[in-house]
Amino acid sequence: MKNIAVCMKQVLDPEMPLSLFRIDPETKSALPARGAPPVLSPFDENALEAALRIKDDEKAKVTVITLGRRLVRAVVTASLAAGADELLLLEDASFNEFDPFLTASALAAAIRKRGPYDLVLCGLQAADTNAGLVPIGIACLLGVTCLTGAREVRLKEESVVVARSLAYGYEVLEAPCPAVVTVTYEVGSLREPGVEAFMSASAKPVIVWTAADLELEQAGMAGGRTEILRMEVPVRASRCEILEGESVQAKAEQLVSRLQQAKVI
Amino acid sequence: MTWQDFIHDMQRCTRCSYCKYIPWRLIRNFRFSEGCPSAARYHWHAYAAGGKFNLAYSLLQGAIDINDSLLEVVYKCLMDGSCDIACKVQQDLEPLQHMQEFRVECVARGYLLPQHQPYLRSLRAEDNMLLRRREERGYWAEGLEVKRVTSDKAEVVFFAGCRYSYDQDLWPVARAAVHLLQRAGVDVGILGADEACCAGRAYELGYEGELMKFAEHQRDTLATVARTAGVHTLVTACSDCYSTFKVLYDKIGKKSDVEVCHITQYLERLIQEGRLRPRKSLDLNITYHDPCHLGRLGEPWIHWQGREYKPVGTQIWLHDPPKRFRRGTHGVYEPPRNVLKSIPGLELVEMYRTREYAWCCGAGGGVIDAYPDFAQWTAAERLEEAHEVGAEAIVSACPWCKRNFLDTAAITKDRIGIFDLVELVERAVGGSE
Repeated sequence: MKNIAVCMKQVLDPEMPLSLFRIDPETKSALPARGAPPVLSPFDENALEAALRIKDDEKAKVTVITLGRRLVRAVVTASLAAGADELLLLEDASFNEFDPFLTASALAAAIRKRGPYDLVLCGLQAADTNAGLVPIGIACLLGVTCLTGAREVRLKEESVVVARSLAYGYEVLEAPCPAVVTVTYEVGSLREPGVEAFMSASAKPVIVWTAADLELEQAGMAGGRTEILRMEVPVRASRCEILEGESVQAKAEQLVSRLQQAKVI
Repeated sequence: MTWQDFIHDMQRCTRCSYCKYIPWRLIRNFRFSEGCPSAARYHWHAYAAGGKFNLAYSLLQGAIDINDSLLEVVYKCLMDGSCDIACKVQQDLEPLQHMQEFRVECVARGYLLPQHQPYLRSLRAEDNMLLRRREERGYWAEGLEVKRVTSDKAEVVFFAGCRYSYDQDLWPVARAAVHLLQRAGVDVGILGADEACCAGRAYELGYEGELMKFAEHQRDTLATVARTAGVHTLVTACSDCYSTFKVLYDKIGKKSDVEVCHITQYLERLIQEGRLRPRKSLDLNITYHDPCHLGRLGEPWIHWQGREYKPVGTQIWLHDPPKRFRRGTHGVYEPPRNVLKSIPGLELVEMYRTREYAWCCGAGGGVIDAYPDFAQWTAAERLEEAHEVGAEAIVSACPWCKRNFLDTAAITKDRIGIFDLVELVERAVGGSE
């Protein structure tokens, strides 16, 4: 039986109204939004779908690993409802989801501790930072191959085969297992779990580990390496000016003149 | 306002239990005297509005924390507002608004019911809370010769809403509504597959962000079709949608400039103007069930901003400027009754709990999704009340009511007739699909 680990991040709802988005200047982090709970990163949902498709075809155990300071159970258990076999929560107030090194260290330590694995699947990037650094970090720390941007993932006896889109076609790569693979949206959306699946998900195992369980300090991987200097909501301002003129031609001439002045044309 | 802002209401609740019943002077039958389905079903003060004030006050003081038991109490509430109206007979408190804000707080803190998650995922991914695909939204109108306001000019847009769009059993009602409008010469069009959820139900669950998102979308859509198609009125046959467009969007400051009408109001107008003539006698003894979202929750929002102050002592609070309360009296009650009374042969008998004191159908507040047995129990109570007053059929004006009544009647093997008002008007006017 193949063992697949899928890393899924809980993020602020990327579709929440901008008016709800607030930043805490003290901690330089986004505040929980009123009436808009977090969601699983859509990119990571693609990764889970890739894992479930492998499981559809062959015997496999899918373990979802989610890291955060405070994880919302009803949100993260959606992975179990969709078909994952077990959920491993790395939850600790000391975690900083915006520090890719710390996150990759914790995830790598958890993957190593949880047991033998054939494949680690991740989304191409997280929907909040869009950085895409963590999967590569995990591969480095585990000392395994990392294949990025897969649109299709297949497991063979002792290797993983992925297809990656190119500008004019696609390429197929094969790497020995274990390996880390990041997937794109082309893999497909996560299958929608129904109400019964959500209810029965509560019977599946959920393991919670803290930073101490991962022994990061002993491994010399504790402490963040990223400092957030500033976080702010970009100010968008638009100025609209109506050009006056007696005819359409006169207005057009004015427009061209103004655009030339602004060095747009 | 946040839930903590209701601290004075928490302190002022005298535990009089008015929130559990219809006003006592209006009780005509003790069997049908209760107003709050949650308190009536679970027989425990915590489930009533007064108990929820107590729980919130305890939470505020740090005496308790949010746990699964508290969540169950919070979400085994239909958000039908019966407590709110009854409470204001005795005291001017805001139990419904408090409950709404408390749910928003639960969501903000990440205390979510797993049972609701599929519906919220569906809303985010497919713009509906019925676990259906976006592409299927326009199917209800297939073969219907009606304009599309996205490409044609029309003065009125008929907004079907999620339930009518996806519930095939109810498609005939939505199609009949469009037929009636066309028959009366109304220049009507639809959005079809370009419609999206109003998000009123998500808001009732506490997902305020979803309401804001969809309110902005709906306001932009209506502004666009007003400009491009000439739409000046939105007509919906769904009471939930009506309440959301009319009340909630106004509440959060995202009201559209387009007039919002429920189909019962519009049909009343057409009948009064002689543009629609219900001539055929139906010979039926019916009772009318006031949908919560059309009745007490359909009352326009009253904006108030000011301060609370104590003129004397510790218990008396006043508002500066004086606050006007929504007491449910300005909901849509007469238009549906006037429409029904215009149909020859129909005999309308009222149930014991009507208008702003109507008993909920059971489909509100997310209960139908999370606790379907409670939803069905609530509907069964209403059907029994309809039988008790001798009605052969129960008529509503909301697809959620009809759906829950149909499902419940199928389980309890109740053979009472279950209609939407539109269906009866269509029969009386004559000519259907």
